Amino acid sequence: MEDEARGRASGTAPATDDATEPQPRLEDRRGRTLVIGAGSSGLTAAKNLRERGFAVDLVEREDRLGGNWNIDGSSSRVYESTHMISSKPFTQYPDFPMPDDAPDYLHHTQVLAYLQRYAAHFGLDELVELGTTVEQVTPLARGFDVTLTGPDGTRSARRYGQLVVANGHNWFPKWPSYPGQDTFTGELLHSADYRSAAQLDGKRVVVVGAGNTGCDLVVEAAQRAQAAFHSTRRAYWYAPKYALGRPADQVSDAIFALRLPLRATQALFEATARLVVGRYERFGLPTPDHRFLETHPIVNQQLLYHVGHGAITPKPDIDHLDGDEVVFTDGSRVAADLVLFATGYLIRFPFLPEGLIPGGGRPRLYRNVFHPDRDDLFVIGLIQPDSGQFCLVHWQAVLVAAYLELRQRDPAAAAAYLDAGRDHLDERSQGGIDLIDSTRHHVEVEHADYVRDLEREIRDVEARSGGTRPVRRTSPAVVSAASPAAGTAEVSM
Amino acid sequence: MSHPRAASDHPPRERVRRTLDWTLPPEPVVREVIEVMPDHPVPGRPPLLFVHGAWHGAWCWQEHWLPAAAAAGWHSVAVSLRGHGGSGRPERFGLASLRHYEHDVLQTITTLPSPPVLIGHSLGGVVVQGVLERYRSAPAGVLVASMPPIHGLQALPRLLRHDPRMLAQALTGREVTPRSATLFGPGTDPANEADYLARLGPESWLATQQVALPRRRRDIRTPLLVLGGEHDVIVPPYAVLRTARHFGTRAHLFRGMGHQLMLEPGWEAVLRRVLGWVDATRAP
Repeated sequence: MEDEARGRASGTAPATDDATEPQPRLEDRRGRTLVIGAGSSGLTAAKNLRERGFAVDLVEREDRLGGNWNIDGSSSRVYESTHMISSKPFTQYPDFPMPDDAPDYLHHTQVLAYLQRYAAHFGLDELVELGTTVEQVTPLARGFDVTLTGPDGTRSARRYGQLVVANGHNWFPKWPSYPGQDTFTGELLHSADYRSAAQLDGKRVVVVGAGNTGCDLVVEAAQRAQAAFHSTRRAYWYAPKYALGRPADQVSDAIFALRLPLRATQALFEATARLVVGRYERFGLPTPDHRFLETHPIVNQQLLYHVGHGAITPKPDIDHLDGDEVVFTDGSRVAADLVLFATGYLIRFPFLPEGLIPGGGRPRLYRNVFHPDRDDLFVIGLIQPDSGQFCLVHWQAVLVAAYLELRQRDPAAAAAYLDAGRDHLDERSQGGIDLIDSTRHHVEVEHADYVRDLEREIRDVEARSGGTRPVRRTSPAVVSAASPAAGTAEVSM
Repeated sequence: MSHPRAASDHPPRERVRRTLDWTLPPEPVVREVIEVMPDHPVPGRPPLLFVHGAWHGAWCWQEHWLPAAAAAGWHSVAVSLRGHGGSGRPERFGLASLRHYEHDVLQTITTLPSPPVLIGHSLGGVVVQGVLERYRSAPAGVLVASMPPIHGLQALPRLLRHDPRMLAQALTGREVTPRSATLFGPGTDPANEADYLARLGPESWLATQQVALPRRRRDIRTPLLVLGGEHDVIVPPYAVLRTARHFGTRAHLFRGMGHQLMLEPGWEAVLRRVLGWVDATRAP
């Protein structure tokens, strides 16, 4: 499909896969922006664009909004026990806080309810076209032709002025390949297909990968499986979910707020980890081979507990699979019924022509949002923060809205902004940290650094807008600043 | 009708980083929310969310404005800030800040079916200003005898002359016993006044200081209506004018009225002005 799309990129009318099918009539929606995906990112994109007066269409493939948090959705990757990794203040949209009576870390069902209330409050549930799949996007010199399939299976074609891509990036499973994988007699499963701890009952389980998912799953295995082994490629820092009786990310942000030199910050974190968690070696885990913050943080308080109770056996990387056995790089062998790969996800845009997003799986976008050569294509939510996601994506959306406002007001200034950004495509808001090279870090951002960058970008774009107060859809006529009437009183009664 | 002018001398500065909210999020409290639904709702109208001032509670809106606005077809809601009215009082209430009050209002907003018009009285006006900066979806904001933006120092001399005891009580965070003429205009029934004064509760010391002392300029992009009373000694007319000028709009002063525009005789005209303005502002 990607090849076809590229072949047709020069054509004007979108084509359907079946030549005998009648061509759907092209509907002109150039005055509108299409937001693809009504998950946590698409929702806030649509909300913030509408708030600045832009007309928006919002399409969602599933029958229910929520994206990853809609557990019934085909691209949802939450499992029954999924809870938030970051606490409420980091995760919530800044203008729509999560409820006071919700816990520090919400369960995925509570997150979905939160997204549904957000959508209802801002009128997005009336806007969203559910059950509508974007089949193909054809870029034009300006704008895009989009082919869609509606809930009843009918095809339609629309032409849009702008596109906001918010299709998520944690859904396309990344499978490792080990020798002997094809002849392994046990079950091989990717965490993408894991839903419930019942899948582990009574089995001998090897969980591969020490991301937050891998650690969650091995903890579940410790409670449900007959035996649980945790295979990790390298030694990690395991951060607690609570420190000093408070959500640990709130404590660590106090450390970030000090804005100490990186080495001092790392030393403080490592000291805190030593104090709260202790020495990992004591649990039979290897010593971390990198400084704190150099990998995406793993927040799990239960893992070491279960290691200490013998319910989890730490193992190094897998060397190969042999019949019903898993052989590790240290030569040890374990008979396993199930090997569960929590090895992460790859970035994919199945509906976009290949090459439209520069860099592909490792996108080269200015501030993870702007396309270097197109002022009508924006990517929202394509970040892997070391903290909450929704809050950061909200500000990405505000930035896009401010940019579109600038483009409308002063196209030359908007072009100058993109020009300036093109030289900084490799700036990644990672707080000066050298992250270990791994696909999981391709869109990693350090949230304090990224938030500071977004703040600077928003202020920059709004300053280029001429420094005038943006006129909102609802605001009455604007009178000149020198109006002598201002400040005079009108006395009633 | 108000005519906002472009405040081009102060470019908007979006505030993205809120370190305090991330490291020390406000502790949850039980909130008193009084909600009056209209018998005949008018489709498309936003809900109204009323925020009371210092020492008061949602009760001050329940007296007249909530039922009257609902009768006129508006979904009307009032919240008691933490430590006020029927809301829970946190352990160290004296250190509750405007940030905590803004949290209480934002939490209430998230329970409403659509973005509300925010209406704040006195200290509640400053809370509304803070909320409007971070919640840009509100269709409009109304400042009723609101404490001024940036600082409240300009309001102090008149209060010092008029009711020094109350000023001293307010600034030291004690319960206030104002003279009735401090809060109410000349036309108010003394029996009602005594009743209202008896219902005043404590106020956070820190929030009082924050309202009085210089504050960061708020970046507000929502249309505002600024109202005041002719005889107000807490927020005197010149302070109302300055607030209006700050936000690039005009002030509306109500003749013969004091600080309590929602409780004094004549409240009907003030409410009528508010509702009429909101309707006109919403219209495209």
